[in-house]
Amino acid sequence: MGKEESPKTTRRTTRSSALATPSKNVVEETKASSSHPPTLSDLVLGEKGESFSADDLLSSFPGRRNQILELLRLLGPQNSPMFPVFVYGGTSTGKTSIVVETFRHLKRPLVYSSCLTCYNPRILFESVLNQLFLHRKNAANGYSSAKRCESPSDFVNFLRDALVSILVNTKGNSGKVTSKRSGKSNGNMIYLVFDNLERLRGWDKGSTILPLLFNLYDILKMPEVGLIFISSASPDTYYSNMGYVEPIPLYLPDYTQDDLQKIFMRNQANKKLYSSFLSVVLRPFCRITRRVDELSSAFSPLFTKYCEPITDLNVVPNKETNQRLYNFFRPHIAPALNETFKVSSQQSPEVEVKERKGKGGTKKSRDFEVEELDFHMPTSAKYLLIAAFLASRNPATLDSSLFDSTGGSNNRKRKRKLSDKSMEQKETAEQELLLNPGSFPMERLLAIFQCITSVGEGPLDEEEQEDGGLGIQDVNGGLMSDVLLQLSSLCSANFIVTGGSCPLEGSTRYRSTVSEDMALKVARSIKFPLSNWDNTIEHKFQTVSWCQVSAGLPSNNCSKPPIRVTS
Amino acid sequence: MARENPTENALCLLRTRLCDPNFAFKALSHSDDSNYSKLKFLVSSSITEACNNSILLLGPRGSGKIAVLELVLSDLLQEFPDMISVIRLSGLLHSSDNCAFKEIARQLCVEHQLVFSRMASFDDNSQFMIAMLRECGLAHKTIIFVLDEFDLFALGKQRLLYSLLDAMQSVTSQAVVIGVSSRLDADMLLDKRVRSRFSHRKLLFLPPAYEDVQRLLEHILLLPTDSSFPPDYVIAFNAKLQYSSRSDPSACKVLDILQTILADERFKEIINTYLNLDSTVKHLLRYLFRAVSDMDLESGMLSLENFKTALSNIQRHPKLECIKDCSVLELYILVCMKRLEVKEQNSYNFNAVMKEYKSIHDSVKTADYFARNVCLRAFEHLLQRELIGFADNRGQNQSIEFSPVKLLISSHELHQGMKSYGSCPAILQQLMDRQK
Repeated sequence: MGKEESPKTTRRTTRSSALATPSKNVVEETKASSSHPPTLSDLVLGEKGESFSADDLLSSFPGRRNQILELLRLLGPQNSPMFPVFVYGGTSTGKTSIVVETFRHLKRPLVYSSCLTCYNPRILFESVLNQLFLHRKNAANGYSSAKRCESPSDFVNFLRDALVSILVNTKGNSGKVTSKRSGKSNGNMIYLVFDNLERLRGWDKGSTILPLLFNLYDILKMPEVGLIFISSASPDTYYSNMGYVEPIPLYLPDYTQDDLQKIFMRNQANKKLYSSFLSVVLRPFCRITRRVDELSSAFSPLFTKYCEPITDLNVVPNKETNQRLYNFFRPHIAPALNETFKVSSQQSPEVEVKERKGKGGTKKSRDFEVEELDFHMPTSAKYLLIAAFLASRNPATLDSSLFDSTGGSNNRKRKRKLSDKSMEQKETAEQELLLNPGSFPMERLLAIFQCITSVGEGPLDEEEQEDGGLGIQDVNGGLMSDVLLQLSSLCSANFIVTGGSCPLEGSTRYRSTVSEDMALKVARSIKFPLSNWDNTIEHKFQTVSWCQVSAGLPSNNCSKPPIRVTS
Repeated sequence: MARENPTENALCLLRTRLCDPNFAFKALSHSDDSNYSKLKFLVSSSITEACNNSILLLGPRGSGKIAVLELVLSDLLQEFPDMISVIRLSGLLHSSDNCAFKEIARQLCVEHQLVFSRMASFDDNSQFMIAMLRECGLAHKTIIFVLDEFDLFALGKQRLLYSLLDAMQSVTSQAVVIGVSSRLDADMLLDKRVRSRFSHRKLLFLPPAYEDVQRLLEHILLLPTDSSFPPDYVIAFNAKLQYSSRSDPSACKVLDILQTILADERFKEIINTYLNLDSTVKHLLRYLFRAVSDMDLESGMLSLENFKTALSNIQRHPKLECIKDCSVLELYILVCMKRLEVKEQNSYNFNAVMKEYKSIHDSVKTADYFARNVCLRAFEHLLQRELIGFADNRGQNQSIEFSPVKLLISSHELHQGMKSYGSCPAILQQLMDRQK
């Protein structure tokens, strides 16, 4: 046994000193007067003297009375232990704010960490521990955490130590602390809140951390710890092959229309006017979404529109004005419904562009001057985008018929036939198209690009020739390198994604993610007749005349036989 | 902490009882053939006879394996104060061998006032453990290893299990390995070399019998008569729950009409409904906790209502709730997807759904026809609600419109949900039914 002792450092002392020093530092820095060890009262939300009564709490969340009361009952009176609680409900139903505000009301210590900001286990563990040790990252400690903690076992050990030390301190100092502070003790429970739990399922497929958190209460075996999980996914979506005793569910349903009415009536300057506005607007919009965040962003521009006819915003509307306002406003509702979601989502890059587009649209307010739309994209990139769109939408077998004059006429005949009888064929073909934008090799993209640029050359202005550098008569090497550069930037902007490489050819295949509307807009902005080319867009094939592209191009750039183009 | 309010005190006491599994299992542990007595006999005999032993405790999650074990250990620690040291490991935390040995070394160091080095290697730690086993054996001290989530230790190379059980083959060592697992086939997961060293003692934890549940309910819900509570409050509280010979006859008379809760048929029915779903003790405690936390603080009494609402609150139907939360447009999309599935399109995406949506609109002119990007957003909402999901997870890099999706609810659930939906358009119901 003596052998083992020699290499070991005195870990227990280091830990206790490590525990004492940083917390003391922080305390001295933040509140110069008090140099007490970490206690529960430091984790309480809100100001010391502030009182936040239950009525305030209930009135600040309209339509949530039952849920808040239930949460209060589950938390129970002071110093009473609790089973883990699982708060869930859709987006923007007030899960987090209700939990946090409830703790502000109760004045009980709360350790809050969100799995959204703490995006891996280590950060999550350290965030919890930092709060428990009252450790704050700053320049003095090099923005390091209180403990370096990566494995779940370390986390549980540290967590237990931290909790024990805090609880011992509270029990020891409880008399002193209560007399010094507001006179009311905070009890000796500590509540750990884990927000955005649904994120956790994505971490290493939820195999270790999720069961750990769900079983944490049983592992710690400390009745002084209350666990609250907040998730937007319902409990049945947390699959785990090892199982757990499910936490007590607390469900926050989406707001009903009446609740929404109450919510939107809060903090309104002219309540009468706004309620008449809501009576017009709320019902149709509720059919699309009942999410407060989306509705409020949709309503704010609409309300200004609604108020346009009146000069004085403080006017108390009577029946007559309401009718007048309604008549004025009615034509705006339907288009507004279809523009409900202009806020971009983070998920797909196209939406961002759509939003930009949408903003442009509102500025112009419905005079269709397409020229004003500008995507701040070089003209060559726009052509490339269209080429990619065409390559994705049209099967490669149709290329020759599309870009060839003789094939084009064939295609027209076939189309007419299709519309007549063989619906089935068409449907299967369309199904295939709907399933996925097709992938294509770069050679095909470049060939189509050359075709359409040569067509676009006609309407191209002098200035566009200059800035785009896509004049085919330019130096060929320059063109190619420029186009490849554009391609890579389009790829990084996620307009074109690189799919899996073809196993036979070995070259990377590309795929366009641009939606049809977007492609049409782009095409219109460069006056390119996209509808002529895309067989998925229902348009009549136009008169065909063709021109040769390959003039002046080295043959190795163009892997296909000379492609003919319609214009 | 002295509270002026006996009601709050009583609630606190009940909650403390419910959250402490040891308390609940004390009530169930007194009979001779209980797992408690068996386990206690096994462990104490191996302590007194200074031999090695290994036991598996098997049973569904929440059946009280650890709680009973803790009871036994705390009893034994009192009986043999200096002869036992307990090492607790959990498969959730220490499933890797390296981590497990480190934790064993750490706990041994804490137990025996040694200094523990974080830097010690895997080899150091395992040698240290074996040395400690020998030393403790010579000092006639038994080391009890508790391996919670035993099945997780059997995942990898099982080096920990092997070296533990192998060390126990020698005469000098004196240790008990207690594996706890909710997998009934936990011992079948062991390698051959480990299994041959493992004594196949298994204790099965079964759900409690109905009489035990009754006893448990009384044990937990009745307030103690010899406590700091005002006696008349305790009598009234208990009388509401149960006839008691000791309680005041006059109080009994008043409550005679009200009928006591525990004897009430309706209460028995509620408890039975719950036990049919989850028969383990832990789940029962969870349910009781839910009911007790609803206790009316004004009157300070539990009522049958509490138990009823708790049942409905704890049995949730998340998918139905989700459907109720959907907007009308989202319901349209769900119905479209349902129709596509009925048409036996095995794979479809947003574009296909939109086509169906358009065809619905063409056949029956509805007011709810919205632009494509609005529908796309509603589609995203459904994805967030996890009512629909991507059919394959490799297509995440392409945009939402094109990746194939599938419904995550059955048509029955959709049907139920739409029936309970407050303002579901009649046309949607028809569209659903027409497909059947």
